[in-house]
Amino acid sequence: MNRTYDDVLADLAQMLANFEGKEYSGEIGAQTQFFGELGYASIDAVVLSEKLEEFYGQKFPFHEFIADLRERDVDDIEVGRLAEFLHRHLS
Amino acid sequence: MANIELDGLKFHYRQSGAGPDVVLVHAFTSNMAVWLFTDIVEKLAADFRVTMYDLRGHGNSARPESGYNSAVMAGDLKKLHQALELEPALLVGHSYGGTISMHAAVLYPEIVRGVILSDSYFPGLAEIEPNMLHADVWADVRRVLAEADAHIGESVNFTELFHAVAGLRPEQMEIIKQELGAPGARWLAQLGQLSETRSGDEMFEVAGLTAEKIASVGQPVFAFYDEHSPFMATCRYLEEHLSRCTVERVPGAKHVAILQNSPVFVEMVQRRLREMAGLT
Repeated sequence: MNRTYDDVLADLAQMLANFEGKEYSGEIGAQTQFFGELGYASIDAVVLSEKLEEFYGQKFPFHEFIADLRERDVDDIEVGRLAEFLHRHLS
Repeated sequence: MANIELDGLKFHYRQSGAGPDVVLVHAFTSNMAVWLFTDIVEKLAADFRVTMYDLRGHGNSARPESGYNSAVMAGDLKKLHQALELEPALLVGHSYGGTISMHAAVLYPEIVRGVILSDSYFPGLAEIEPNMLHADVWADVRRVLAEADAHIGESVNFTELFHAVAGLRPEQMEIIKQELGAPGARWLAQLGQLSETRSGDEMFEVAGLTAEKIASVGQPVFAFYDEHSPFMATCRYLEEHLSRCTVERVPGAKHVAILQNSPVFVEMVQRRLREMAGLT
């Protein structure tokens, strides 16, 4: 799947705007935070990872993404960081 | 995304890898994210078929009003095992997940090859375990809620906690977010959903898993208790009474070793699972 970073960011924004029965009416951009702003919980991150693998038709090493967050002592997921990660691993 | 219906209830599960079966059973008030936020699944999937699932009432599984004692939840595990056509499995249970795993070993020994416990508490050992009602982790939650002018008692009472959380106003959640960070605050907020269930009381039911039944478990059991565990009396009981129990301490951890000392915990689990599966 040949998608640019901006495409992936747009995919994510669309997915998160109406996700698991929760709607978010604000604008979702690269700096939007998954837990803090969108109000999702850890299990939503798991479901999102499953939906992303379905959507893009491939597996992603999400544990590496999480390990990177821990290493940088970051406790929230910025949508832009996730888009970068997905874009980097899209085959 | 994988969901499976067991006796009319939806269970969310996930599988990785190939090999002997391992089932990861998370703790009360947790969900399968606790495994996925570390590298334990990737490490284990190199040797095993790893199945993890959200317990009833938790994560993305159904949330019935009742059925939260360890006997019923061991029954869920048995049904999942059967529906997914697993081979007899090695179970890894954190906290209440370990209680459920041990109950499965008692009730359904044909599906359990061995158990790894991580800092588990057993209602059937309440008389010998003085620390449950005043565990540090409870004191931490109590302090955070008090900062937001929400109050729970000094003794562990999950039903009280769930109702207190369900009643939190947005401005109180903001204070909690500052204390716990956004992911921690979201974890706490989700507990309010359990106020619609009887889980807070039912998880303390002995439900047949008496001290004698625990001592009767004949499968190999590795009891990992955290360096700062509140449940050392339980740990000693297991070591003294089970025929095939090995105790190990997880340095630096105080009840959630998978997150508090992940590298060491994952290495310990991997090593003992390989040993039980005859892979070393």
